[in-house]
Amino acid sequence: MTKTTLLGTAALILLGLAGGASAAEPIRIGVVTPLSGTYAPIGQQVRWGLELATKEANAAGGIMGRQIELLFEDEEANPAVATQKAEKLFQVNKVDFLTGTVNSGSTLAVGQLAERNGRLIATTVSFSDAITTDKCSPNVFRVNARAGQQSAALAEWLAKDKPKAKVYYLGPDYEMGRSTVAAFKAAAEKTGAQSTGEVFAPLGSKDYSQYFGQLRAARPSVLYTSTAGNDTVRLLTQMGEYGLLRNLTIVGASGTVTAQNIGAIGKAADGFVTGVGYSAELATPENKAFVAAFRKAYDTAPDLYGADSYGLIGFFKAAVEKAGGTDTDALRKAMEGLSWNTPQGTKTMRAGDHQAVQDMYAVRISSDGTNNRFDVVGTVPGDAAIGPDLCTRF
Amino acid sequence: MADLIDYLQFVLAPQALNGLSLGVAVVLMALGLTIIFGLLDVINMAHGEFYAMGAFLSLTLAGLGVGFWALLVLVPLLMLPIGWLAERWLIARVFHSRDRHILTLLLTFGLGMILEDLLKLIYGPNTLRPENPIEGGTEILGMFLPNYRLFLIGFGLALIAAVWLVVFRTGLGAMVRAAAFDKDMASSLGVPVRRVYAGTFAFGVALAGLAGVLLAPIYSVFPTMGRDFILMAFTVVIVGGMGSIQGAVIAGLLLTQVQALSSLYISPVWSDPLVFGIMVLVLMVRPQGLFGRLGHA
Repeated sequence: MTKTTLLGTAALILLGLAGGASAAEPIRIGVVTPLSGTYAPIGQQVRWGLELATKEANAAGGIMGRQIELLFEDEEANPAVATQKAEKLFQVNKVDFLTGTVNSGSTLAVGQLAERNGRLIATTVSFSDAITTDKCSPNVFRVNARAGQQSAALAEWLAKDKPKAKVYYLGPDYEMGRSTVAAFKAAAEKTGAQSTGEVFAPLGSKDYSQYFGQLRAARPSVLYTSTAGNDTVRLLTQMGEYGLLRNLTIVGASGTVTAQNIGAIGKAADGFVTGVGYSAELATPENKAFVAAFRKAYDTAPDLYGADSYGLIGFFKAAVEKAGGTDTDALRKAMEGLSWNTPQGTKTMRAGDHQAVQDMYAVRISSDGTNNRFDVVGTVPGDAAIGPDLCTRF
Repeated sequence: MADLIDYLQFVLAPQALNGLSLGVAVVLMALGLTIIFGLLDVINMAHGEFYAMGAFLSLTLAGLGVGFWALLVLVPLLMLPIGWLAERWLIARVFHSRDRHILTLLLTFGLGMILEDLLKLIYGPNTLRPENPIEGGTEILGMFLPNYRLFLIGFGLALIAAVWLVVFRTGLGAMVRAAAFDKDMASSLGVPVRRVYAGTFAFGVALAGLAGVLLAPIYSVFPTMGRDFILMAFTVVIVGGMGSIQGAVIAGLLLTQVQALSSLYISPVWSDPLVFGIMVLVLMVRPQGLFGRLGHA
């Protein structure tokens, strides 16, 4: 017997002993999420949310006496890497469930992999409507709100706060930009808004002033934008420079103004309204307790991604307890139609398309340049924001 | 008729003025590039990162309490030694090699990647932005223009004129041009050729840094910002004629007007292909560029 096999055997025996000593095998949840690269700040929130919920669940006795164990892998926001890491978690680590994917492409790719492995996954971040509409999968669940719910909530708020608004649309010229503008335009026109024009600027535009002539000529009272990251910084500061922020309400997609770029936008972000599934300022006791625990553990407030990821553990726990184990078919049946409590309120997993139904919020940013608040200015009931079930596969 | 005047006043003219402020920005970038190319025969792929360095430097100094007007002087002065050392330590080593073009291109490309990552390590990947030093706007003939853009246009044009004067109307400029034209002859006539090369490179780098200071309040500051203008600046240098200052100015202003005005009629996405198409056409019909006299800066 060589030295390494000897060591290996020893380790195996030790592992066996350890396994025998504890009450039961832990339930393993694989987390494939971006821990490096552009989306690392999102992955960080996902990790914090999951870890906090797991710690709390384990302290309360775990799931049916079994502890929850999280296994993290870095997917670098790259679907090709995500599938490799997910395959490893399924095949080598034998995880019972998988979550964490951020990029919608990663979620779709890992969803196909889950079908081949006969396992279930859930995303807590991806927005793309396709995941629970035309590309839905019996093995994929989404516990966060999709793009359609966000624009429906925003349109609802707009109709109440600024009835018959004249809206101009400015989006980045690629799939996400065009689909978000189309979705919001449809939702807003349905609730009585009037469209005055639209323009699509290339992703990463330097100077938005070239579109200001058209914008001014259209005389809108509301501008909808779905730019993200640095593009939003430039758009809003340049609009401020040209005095366009006066007498204009700016609304947008939930990823348009975030904790990452608000510092650079500064005062120009003041008054921005978006439709979103969560705000740390939600004044419910559940949320206040959650925010306090999150702040205590990580010294920062949770955002949308942290809250949705936190809520996932409750969803999984309730489903496993209902199914009496982690058998895939029983678990899927238990998850369908399941209602569970989260800091965001009660969520219900719609059986027909595996999309969570939840109350949506219109959130307004107030900023004096250094301090930013995300205040809830409107609530749209889950049923009003969810839209029809368009999944035909199951 | 009234419609036409309205159109001129509210759509066409503001668009042309916005294009002009973008044009001045591009020319500022292209100027350093074309001087380094024209006088040193080196294609500086790290030029965009020197521009980013200037912007980050201005942000750091502003955080320490240095005023905007002082930054306009201080940042280029700080960039001078950086450019000088980059030329002495890196470019001078491969300058006399047979594959000078390829080696300097790869060298500066690598340098640019290192600088970009350094900025990312020091300042993080998120976007930062200095306060706008000149707030407010001015109405000119019913058109609204932010004061800072007006300042940018004025200051940029003055800077371009100053650079032209230095290169073509001073003894120093004559020495530099002589060293570029025939380094052996210039050297034998007492021109310190090595120092002239290093100084020229440093001058180009300082110009990039100054462009960084000037554009930071409009375009915001982040580690990969160097890539923003570099393609456009290269296009301007190629169309204007490699190494020609007046070529860079005219091509820069012309191409940005094409971009600005075309985006009124076609999708803005097409403005880049349009500009690069013009570049390809120029290369086919007049490979030396509009004002290019290769080897005669």
